Amino acid sequence: MISLLLILISSLFFVGIIVKTKAKIAARKMPSVLQPVYDVVRLFKKGAVYSQTTSAIFKMAPLVYFASVFLAVLFIPIGSQKALLSFDGDFVFFAYLLGIGKFMMIIAAMDTGSGFEGMGANREALYSMLVEPAFFILVGSVALFTNNVSFQDLFLHLKLDTNLYYIIGIASIYVFVYIAMVENSRMPVDDPKTHLELTMVHEVMILDNSGFDLALIHIVTWLKFSIYGALISNFIISNSWAIYWQIAAFFGIQLAFSLTVGILEAFKARNKMEKNPQWIIMLSAISIVVFLTVLIITEKIILN
Amino acid sequence: MTIILFKIVIIFALVLFMLPKQYQYYLGLVLHIAIISISSSWAINALAISSKVTLPFIPFLGNILSIEIDQLSAFFILVINMTMLTGIIYAKGYLQAYFHKKSKTEMAWHFFNFLWLHISMLLVVSLRDAIAFLMIWEVMSLSSFFLVIFETEKKETISIGIKYLIQMHIGVIFLMVAFIFAYVQTGAAFSFNGLSIYFASHNPFGLFLIFFIGFGIKAGFIPLHSWLPHAHPAAPSHVSAVMSGVMIKMGIYGILRVLMSIHHDLFNIGLFILIMSLISGLLGVSMAIVQHDVKKLLAYHSIENIGIIGIGIGLGVIGIAEDIPVLAALGFAGGILHILNHSLFKSLLFYTAGSVYKQTHTRNIEELGGLIKKMPKTALFFLLGALAISGLPPFNGFISEFLIYSGIFKSLHSANLFTDIVLMFSFTSLAIIGGLALFCFTKVFSVIFLGTARSSKVEHATEVESSMLIPDFIIGFMIVLIGFVPVIFMQPLSQIIGLFSIKMGAIQQIIPILNNISISSGIFIMLIGLLWILRTWQQKRHTIKQNTTWACACKVTNPAEHQYTATSYANNFKQLSSKVVNVKKDFKDFDETEIFPKARKFETHSSDVFEDNLITAPTNKILIWFEKIAVLQTGKIQHYLLYALLFLVLIYLLTHFNLI
Amino acid sequence: MTYLFIILYAITLIYFALSERVKKFVWLLCMQGFMLFGIVFFSLHKIEIFDFIFILTETILVKSLIVPWFLNKVRKHNQLKRIQETSVPVFFSIIVVVLSLIFSFFLSNFLNSNQIHTKYFTVAFASIIFGIYFIIIHKNIFSHVVGYLIIENGTFLLSLAVGSVMPMMVNLAILLDVLMGVLVLGVFINRIGDAFESTKIDQLSSLKD
Repeated sequence: MISLLLILISSLFFVGIIVKTKAKIAARKMPSVLQPVYDVVRLFKKGAVYSQTTSAIFKMAPLVYFASVFLAVLFIPIGSQKALLSFDGDFVFFAYLLGIGKFMMIIAAMDTGSGFEGMGANREALYSMLVEPAFFILVGSVALFTNNVSFQDLFLHLKLDTNLYYIIGIASIYVFVYIAMVENSRMPVDDPKTHLELTMVHEVMILDNSGFDLALIHIVTWLKFSIYGALISNFIISNSWAIYWQIAAFFGIQLAFSLTVGILEAFKARNKMEKNPQWIIMLSAISIVVFLTVLIITEKIILN
Repeated sequence: MTIILFKIVIIFALVLFMLPKQYQYYLGLVLHIAIISISSSWAINALAISSKVTLPFIPFLGNILSIEIDQLSAFFILVINMTMLTGIIYAKGYLQAYFHKKSKTEMAWHFFNFLWLHISMLLVVSLRDAIAFLMIWEVMSLSSFFLVIFETEKKETISIGIKYLIQMHIGVIFLMVAFIFAYVQTGAAFSFNGLSIYFASHNPFGLFLIFFIGFGIKAGFIPLHSWLPHAHPAAPSHVSAVMSGVMIKMGIYGILRVLMSIHHDLFNIGLFILIMSLISGLLGVSMAIVQHDVKKLLAYHSIENIGIIGIGIGLGVIGIAEDIPVLAALGFAGGILHILNHSLFKSLLFYTAGSVYKQTHTRNIEELGGLIKKMPKTALFFLLGALAISGLPPFNGFISEFLIYSGIFKSLHSANLFTDIVLMFSFTSLAIIGGLALFCFTKVFSVIFLGTARSSKVEHATEVESSMLIPDFIIGFMIVLIGFVPVIFMQPLSQIIGLFSIKMGAIQQIIPILNNISISSGIFIMLIGLLWILRTWQQKRHTIKQNTTWACACKVTNPAEHQYTATSYANNFKQLSSKVVNVKKDFKDFDETEIFPKARKFETHSSDVFEDNLITAPTNKILIWFEKIAVLQTGKIQHYLLYALLFLVLIYLLTHFNLI
Repeated sequence: MTYLFIILYAITLIYFALSERVKKFVWLLCMQGFMLFGIVFFSLHKIEIFDFIFILTETILVKSLIVPWFLNKVRKHNQLKRIQETSVPVFFSIIVVVLSLIFSFFLSNFLNSNQIHTKYFTVAFASIIFGIYFIIIHKNIFSHVVGYLIIENGTFLLSLAVGSVMPMMVNLAILLDVLMGVLVLGVFINRIGDAFESTKIDQLSSLKD
């Protein structure tokens, strides 16, 4: 329960901090950290405009999308705080749950009959397909390392006892940061602040959503960031720490993660669209190196 | 008693030819239901007493041929019956379009073959004697051949049918060789039961390979698959549903049956099955993405799903060989459950695709669009099938993939290095296959059903009649049932897996996990419901407007012109997979001297790399030789007589010099 | 700690496959030099001043400073295009490098003998395979030099893997060889660049007459 609350709380500030960091770097006047929350509250107070081309799919999609990500939050433990739902192989369920949300959003974008939204939908489908192996290999390596197959046990038994563990930790955090960027369609893959629809991925998919639906979609973005932040924090937080240290560390890591995203977005240029697939597959390649490292640690590969 | 009934039903099939057209369907339906109830009672009996049921069938070559139904056969019988039932219900509406075109005999012949396809499949899974098995296997191929060429007025249908028949016969030859080889080597019984004696004393890999080729042609493993993408589009939809849903699984059945009698040196066999399946899974779905013909696309997806089934079985075999019970049990469980799952969602997809074809007369998805407003129920069921085949929770495809995944992840720690690397490749490929299936089905669903119409063919489409929706409801119910309450299928599943001499602990452990999945799925649905209520409440208090789609401030007269097409959707994937999917562009580039360019056409055609390089290219080379030899065939009788004379001289010379 | 640098070295190979810019190649070569230093430094049993200086010169000074600096000079002199063409899409190159890494790790597990330090062999072999592959797929002679240097780094690691007898002398010889090779090729590229105004290898074949 605590982990759910922590993730929900941190999600409120996440996007605000990113925006603030970017503004600070660009020497612009900064909006409040809670500005995204105000935006969403305002959206909740609004009516909606639906396209005549759309069907029931378009209305269903944001609900399914939100429900899938919200349910995914329930699987994430933090430190020694247990997740609400946990069973062996829950990360497979987690990944496929995010998949069904994506499926609905993609077809909802296609439902509008707009060429731009089709473009975004198709890119989203490709990139999320390419990033999937990286997630699985990484979690698989950690599963092999700890001999556990649920998020909760996985992170509970993650011990920092060998030098090589640091490689796993660092590489996993690196890959997770970028998986989060791809899943949320952020900088190296997609520029959320671009003004040209032709070069957008996620933003162009939700052009026709408004009111309640758009608010849900915004909240999902926060939640997704927060989920990955929580996953990253699990690599760092040791469950032997006192509970308030764990919570402090969690918020510290979320803050650091959001600052990182902000800094990355401020300084990094977006990849060329056609370079994206190879860039994403690189994440899988690094996860395979992590896998090989785990094989060395578990003494499956015997070296002298 | 039931056997006699069964025989009566078989004989009664001939009455079909005597009936007038309008009653034939009903007799067919009755006969199918009779067969379904008889054979299902056998199967349920076998599963209930959890041992083999043996019934004497007919006298055959001096012996009594008996029907043997163990749990594996029982499972397959139930799967066959399920798909056949929905198939025959669906056929009523689908065949109406052909009712006036076809003569009485043609219709009767169709129903007769459909019935015989059913009977032969049931017998394939329950006969053990090799000769009888091969004969009934042949009957299955023949009856499906006649079903494929139902639309005989189309010229290409016949040539596709013949290609299908030839490839099936190549498969039969391999099977025959394998059986005879085992028989000659051991002298034991000429049947499946005799194989175990051969495998006990010989290295099993060689013979297994021959069996694998024979059965693999039926199952459609890449590169043995080239009949599949042609036969499925050519056949009527209920036939393609049955062929894709269950008939190709007969190949899997054969492989499983052979595997049951192998007990040593299993690692290489498992690895071989796994590699073939990974290739089939990855390439099958990659090729599916670039197709425009919806039924061809579904056919390639069958290859992909055969791949997933094979991954499960291959991992299971590796699990047995390496003595990792978790991998063995869950691998087999996932693979075998996926057989059922695939038969469900693939037949659902073929039925709905067939309904679309019936109403729009086109299978080219580029000409469709916006059908969800005209055929909402069909669209909903297609969506259900698409979600299930992409392996997304909370539907059935996810459950079988989840079983395979958990088998892999649970055994990672106890496996050795090589197995670990193999496992890593397996789950990576499964993840990629899942992602690609999602890519493909978002494309198909949205291009067919969403957006606006891309051609005038869609205009007059209406929802199909209710008899064609009944199968959808039945299958949809099953898909949701397996997705939400998978636990009830675990007990029969564990019986089947027990046949492969696997320790069953893992299945017991998976049950609480599956219960958790059910709970999570329940929460998921409840969350969606809650959000729905919230939104209705919120939107009641605010104005909801309708407007045109936002076209980025550009005034569009016809939004359909700007819509994303299937080709453009697949384009970015096509660039990545250019090595395995062969897509040719048909486009003349602009000339520099052409100041006012003329109207141009852009077309893309995809062809199968394997078919091009393994079948078409070699046969074309052989054909060139044949054409050279064909010079001799002048058509003049004098020349032929001259050949005869020359032949006599040749014979004389050869005998003269003692060469023959 | 040696493992840390070995794994990091493996990651640099992935980045070699990913990157397409000449500047990045040079930078990655520089990084590889540091990785090699780390690998050798942490595998020393006891630090002797002579060994230490030798390693320092060999890896840091030569591999990560002099050679990249020289390559950078060549690059600027010839005004090379920023992006180097490859005959295989980068997407597949990444898959190839991953497969070669898995293969060489797997192979080193089997080479389990006392004479070979297999932990170096892992990335050494992968590096050599990848260097060859790198040369095959690139069309530009400058990238070929980079490829040779990747192979050289691989042989350096290989000498660590097999050599307990006078490894330093072996390395010294290889090092001088490569340094001379790079210098010669650098001069060569400069000349070619002056003559053809391009460093694509397609045009070199016309030199044979």
